[in-house]
Amino acid sequence: MTQAVIELQQIEKSFGTLSVLKGVSITAHKGEVISLIGSSGSGKSTLLRCANLLEWAEGGNILIEGDAVRWKETSSGRKPADAAQLISIRTNLSMVFQQFNLWSHMTILQNVTEAPVSVLGRDRKEVEAEALNWLDKVGIVDKADNYPSQLSGGQQQRAAIARALAMQPRALLFDEPTSALDPELEQEVVKVIKQLAAEGRTMILVTHDMALARDVSDRVVFLHQGLIEEEGEPAELFANPKSERLRQFLSATATS
Amino acid sequence: MFDCVDPKSLEGLTWLACYLTTGKHMAFYASFATVLFLLALTAPLAMLFGFGGALASRSAVLPLRLFGKGYIAMVRGIPDIVFFLFMPIAIDQLLETVRHKLLCPDVVEPIRRGNDFVVCTAAKLPLGAADQWVHELYGFLLASLSFAIVFGAFAGNTLYGAMQAVPRAQLETASAYGMTQRQIFWRILMPQMWVYALPGLSNLWQILIKATPLLFLLGVEDIVYWARELGGAKTSAFSYPHPDWRLYYFLFLLIFYLMLTQLSERVFGWLIRKTDHGALSAHAARAGS
Repeated sequence: MTQAVIELQQIEKSFGTLSVLKGVSITAHKGEVISLIGSSGSGKSTLLRCANLLEWAEGGNILIEGDAVRWKETSSGRKPADAAQLISIRTNLSMVFQQFNLWSHMTILQNVTEAPVSVLGRDRKEVEAEALNWLDKVGIVDKADNYPSQLSGGQQQRAAIARALAMQPRALLFDEPTSALDPELEQEVVKVIKQLAAEGRTMILVTHDMALARDVSDRVVFLHQGLIEEEGEPAELFANPKSERLRQFLSATATS
Repeated sequence: MFDCVDPKSLEGLTWLACYLTTGKHMAFYASFATVLFLLALTAPLAMLFGFGGALASRSAVLPLRLFGKGYIAMVRGIPDIVFFLFMPIAIDQLLETVRHKLLCPDVVEPIRRGNDFVVCTAAKLPLGAADQWVHELYGFLLASLSFAIVFGAFAGNTLYGAMQAVPRAQLETASAYGMTQRQIFWRILMPQMWVYALPGLSNLWQILIKATPLLFLLGVEDIVYWARELGGAKTSAFSYPHPDWRLYYFLFLLIFYLMLTQLSERVFGWLIRKTDHGALSAHAARAGS
């Protein structure tokens, strides 16, 4: 077995009295693409956000390349104890958001170079040259000097992917990357994600797009009410869903 | 130059030229500089207080947060004119009290004696022997400080609101990419905040311009004071007798204020365009959809 990049063990998370994750474990090995599917409120986005510590899991362990997150107990719950570890984890796992979240006051090029320069402390000239390559790879190098508001949704999401790649992360986390896009713009983003999967990048993908999950994943995890209901290889899982809930879910998404 | 020695013998344009260059008119022209100088001093100072108030209001430290919120709420809640009359006297008495305690520790009589406020001679500000211009400068600085404290509270409220208005997702994304709180503040929050703050600050600046005649209340001879003084009817006892010309003087002030307003509008318009990048309209469209 190849090295585990992200290990989430028995993750628990609740918001107030609402228990969102009730002990979920998934492991992404190097080069593996895992898709998280499930209806809204199943906890799939929260699980992804727990991985890079945007949300702080109340129970369970998180290991990034074998390094376990250190926690401290506070009056308001469990928090990461080590600020340097927190930042190291976030720089090693790049997130792509549903609403793109490009920084609106920066050009596309600045968006891509911002974190490598200000967080990783790399040389600006060098990062800029690389950034243009990443933008070229996602097909929007001609938009480098434009502001996000001047781009279409699909272009913005591809810029956001370039921003994620520029961090040279160990893994990419996609939080419903195509859900905010019109169908014709969706395809240009899907193309880029497929390309990244084919390159052997480690990725966890939260998605409503079953075709995308089937095409790019090594493994698909179906979450239901904060627990893993079923998981497996996409061909098997989509063709022969074992649980009643997954059958219902797949038939509902197929007709929508 | 014209010979203005005997005004009674002058006529027409020569009379007017001599009239408009009297010592009092020169003081009138200089008071325009006073107003502009007040604006130039108060605006940055008010921004400084505003930032202080806004940052304190956002602080995680409770006493600091209460101080910030208290400052903003109190100054906004109390009528401006009360503050303008109260602040310079309060600041003056505070400074003199501190100096009195430091410089005249031997004086046993209390500073407050009924309605009187008495400090030792050495503690007076400015010192009794100081030149007239020192007195005027001191009064002017007290006035500026009062303006800055009042307008700082309004600016603080605007800036606080603007910082809250920056979409959370923009900040969260920065932390997802490993930025520290300090980096998020300086690299994301501050540059994005201006889009939301500038319209409010532009308004505040216009109000500040219009509030400058309040200087008169604080004993500073500003342009409105002089316009009234010079425009009033002058009997033949004066060197340059004339009927009530206040209308013309005030029309002149009107033009001055309108030009200042026009110029400010242009500058703020440019600043807003420069900081926006279409972000505001983009956020608005998203919020509306």
